[in-house]
Amino acid sequence: MSTTDAASGEGRSLPIPKPRGRIQLQEYALVGVVALILIGGAILEPDSFLTTDNMLNVLRQASVVGVLAIGMTFVIATGGIDLSVGSMVAAAAVAGGQLVDSGSAAFVLGALAMGIVLGGINASAIAYGRVVPFIATLAMFTMARGLALWLSDKTPVSLFSLDGVRWFGNGEVIGIPSAAIVFLAVTVFAWVLLNRTRYGRYVVATGGNREAARIAGVKVRWIVFSVYVISGICAGLAAILVSGRLASASPIIGNLYELDAIAAVVIGGSALAGGRATIVGTFLGVITFALIFNLLTLMDLAVEIQQITKGLIILAAVLVQRRER
Amino acid sequence: MTDAPILEVRGLEKVYPGVRALQGVDFDVLPGEVHCLLGPNGAGKSTLIKCVSGVVEPTRGEILVGGEPLPVGAPSASLKRGVATIYQELDLVEDLTVAQSVFLGHELRRGPLLDREAMRRETIALLERLDHPTIPPNAHVRALRPAAQQVVSIARALSHDARLLIMDEPSAILDDEEVETLFGVVRRLKEAGVGVIYISHRLDEIPRIGDRVTVLSDGRTVATGLPADTPQGTLVEHMVGRKVDQLYPARSAATGDVVLSVRGVSGAPMVKETSFDVRAGEVVGIGGLVGAGRTELLRLVYGLDKPDTGEVYVGGKRLPAGRPAAAIAAGLGLAPEDRKSQGLLLDWSLTKNVSLADLGRFRKGPLIDGRGERGAALEQLRALKTVPDDGERITRELSGGNQQKVVLARWLLRECKVLLLDEPTRGVDVGAKSEIYKVIADLAREGLGVVVVSSELSELAGFCTRVLVMREGAVVAEVGGEEATELELLRHAVAPTDTQPVIAGEEI
Repeated sequence: MSTTDAASGEGRSLPIPKPRGRIQLQEYALVGVVALILIGGAILEPDSFLTTDNMLNVLRQASVVGVLAIGMTFVIATGGIDLSVGSMVAAAAVAGGQLVDSGSAAFVLGALAMGIVLGGINASAIAYGRVVPFIATLAMFTMARGLALWLSDKTPVSLFSLDGVRWFGNGEVIGIPSAAIVFLAVTVFAWVLLNRTRYGRYVVATGGNREAARIAGVKVRWIVFSVYVISGICAGLAAILVSGRLASASPIIGNLYELDAIAAVVIGGSALAGGRATIVGTFLGVITFALIFNLLTLMDLAVEIQQITKGLIILAAVLVQRRER
Repeated sequence: MTDAPILEVRGLEKVYPGVRALQGVDFDVLPGEVHCLLGPNGAGKSTLIKCVSGVVEPTRGEILVGGEPLPVGAPSASLKRGVATIYQELDLVEDLTVAQSVFLGHELRRGPLLDREAMRRETIALLERLDHPTIPPNAHVRALRPAAQQVVSIARALSHDARLLIMDEPSAILDDEEVETLFGVVRRLKEAGVGVIYISHRLDEIPRIGDRVTVLSDGRTVATGLPADTPQGTLVEHMVGRKVDQLYPARSAATGDVVLSVRGVSGAPMVKETSFDVRAGEVVGIGGLVGAGRTELLRLVYGLDKPDTGEVYVGGKRLPAGRPAAAIAAGLGLAPEDRKSQGLLLDWSLTKNVSLADLGRFRKGPLIDGRGERGAALEQLRALKTVPDDGERITRELSGGNQQKVVLARWLLRECKVLLLDEPTRGVDVGAKSEIYKVIADLAREGLGVVVVSSELSELAGFCTRVLVMREGAVVAEVGGEEATELELLRHAVAPTDTQPVIAGEEI
């Protein structure tokens, strides 16, 4: 039988140029955007923008939404969405605040535990209750906020006595803000997890083609469950960073953080439909927003201008994504 | 046939960046003629259709419809000139009713409002012309069987006063009985003077429905105007440019113990209590009409759906119900019916698709050993003669036959004991089909148990050790491979009094 010939017969489709990954293109595009902002900023605000201090400040400012966006990347990789992260930040901060008399470690554990529990409720509803992620996390969006207000009796708790927690917000290690270090560490860990482990492969497979992943033996429900728990943990972590910075556990923090996080993931190039996710893109997306916010603030431009700029960036990024398709 | 041709294609060329999809195609279609278009995957059939239906603009050459040149790159202009296309994946909106679907995009109106009564009337008239008056115009498309959906698609084309109808593999989603119905419809169109371009990979259909045949290969017409009774061997030679000695490999025989044992498995509403065994070295075919419950049976065995009753044993060990991961751990592998939507992650590299079911093998601490993964995947891809044998290629770019090999490579890597293959050659051209048969036979010879579900009874008869025939959710016959003929299998698959219901699921 001349099967090899038949094979080469099919091989006529051979001369296809090696595909360049869309994700890579977009990551490079964002590198360009970041460079442009840096150059533009250096020209517009030569004294204050491109300084080590200011850049470290940008990293610190980016860290809270940054940590949330990293968690959100896992959720979006499965084709889901988590609208509740901002509210979960408040609930986690308040939960830690309840333990203010037991020290910094108790605060940290309390905040993380609340993140895990709330994320776990999202996860159970979505993975096992088969509630659509948008709806399940919309419910949690209002529930977690209510929980935060209720537990705290609508009053912030001062964390001034907790040096450990305040270190997360204001401390430094060899000149680098500790919040920035946490953000970078989370980013690196997440990159390895998503790109170099079996778990990460399964996450993207679940978002890319749930049925195909299941047929290949991926326990897709467990994967879907896990990403919402990850998002909850990230909310707990973000709560620690923001509470440390404010030296207070407030029930009203985190408002609209979920949208900032989603926006960063989307301009980073991850597909909202799932199956295509990039940690580097998310990181650059977070940095892009933080740099622009910082630059416009230095230029004394009003908040409304910043909001318009942000909207334009989101739109432009998504249009670029469409054209590449 | 003295009529002027409806369609004339002269020297058609289409160049995409880096690819010459068409490099000189000539043929014509006469009124009332069914012109079959043949060619291996990648021969340029789809591009040709897209040019004629105005979806893409040809680079060179001309397309004349009714003697006048077709405006290029304008689907609506083609439609206006009476060229309608029925795509392989039916482009119906499932939530619309039949009447709404037929008039989608050119709704009849009375003033600003929809004239629903007129559309209903017109739809009934069209369906009557197609000899399908039993399809209710107010039924939702979703509720119809695939064959009936296809008739709706054709009715829609007629509602545009189509003079030339292009049908892209219309029989691929139909079973043998439904194909007969389709042929009835096509003959009606012929009588009405409509010209039909009929694309199919099933060579046995050509003498039954076609008038003339054109063969495309490598973007060129290699033969045109052949009579429909041209011997299959000659057609295949034209397609692959050489002689195909033998379509089917030798039958394999059971060489070992029972590796898969299915005991009284049922799952309402599609599968009644079913039992069968598969021995090592066997290729067991499961035939039957579409809707007989074959795919559903495989899903139950594999644990994708939870059975109502019964047990599945692999290598003597009972599988927990409804857990594909456990089935895989026990040695099962499934190549699903729809490679694209269920089998593969099309945007992933070949390597990643091959390794997905067996990533645990490449553990290096908590990480994946990328080099080991690429090497092992490549080894399996090469063993199956996958083209291209470059693991970094994106799976979407491969032809259907090679994509199927990627799925098979996954299970070879996993060293599974029993392979369940659902329609392994669907959408695969003749040359690649015979390769896949050979791969399956080789796997069986190496000691795997293989189960093959297929709608093409001829291929089950061609190389299976034995064939089970399903009808209405139950295995109604078992035929030894040597005795199996297409006719014999079809006789079991069709109940004597069975009339084809229009609404899906009505028969159960």
